[in-house]
Amino acid sequence: MVTPEQIEAWIKAGLPCDYIKVEGDGHHFEATIVSAEFRGKMRVAQHQLVYRALGDKMKAEIHALSMRTLTPEEWHG
Amino acid sequence: MNIQDVIREQVTSHPVVLYMKGTPQFPQCGFSATAAQILKACGVNDFYAVNVLENPEIREGIKQFANWPTIPQLYINGQFVGGADIMRELYQSGELQKLLAAGH
Repeated sequence: MVTPEQIEAWIKAGLPCDYIKVEGDGHHFEATIVSAEFRGKMRVAQHQLVYRALGDKMKAEIHALSMRTLTPEEWHG
Repeated sequence: MNIQDVIREQVTSHPVVLYMKGTPQFPQCGFSATAAQILKACGVNDFYAVNVLENPEIREGIKQFANWPTIPQLYINGQFVGGADIMRELYQSGELQKLLAAGH
């Protein structure tokens, strides 16, 4: 079963994160992700960066991932 | 017509299209249920819903269409708006209502 820590590691491997926290029960996960890469991007593009970092993991291992994406400014705001 | 053309036709011939698991009356996934409820809360009851569980080709094709790996997916006037999380954020900020009013 996938753990929140694994998902954190997968995302961090593909996207530089200032802060990341993933919580979940092995089936449903909630992620809060802060990255400078999100600056100047629409929400859709921000989520696409996270999905790209996860790649095929989204198809096979992760059933449900809810996410909140923030720029460092929004996070500290 | 290949499946990408079918999807393009669907999203451009209806102002509001929701790709979901199940139907608005009987959603079969929590995220899809949320998405349908948000549209209704915005006063949009006649959106065009596509149940991807009835069509495996669309279920896979829609993920490529928007380069977005999850369902639900909302389109307004042919434009991909987002999934359930983004719909909720846009709804809470009032932006979704504006997008729907402009497109509907």
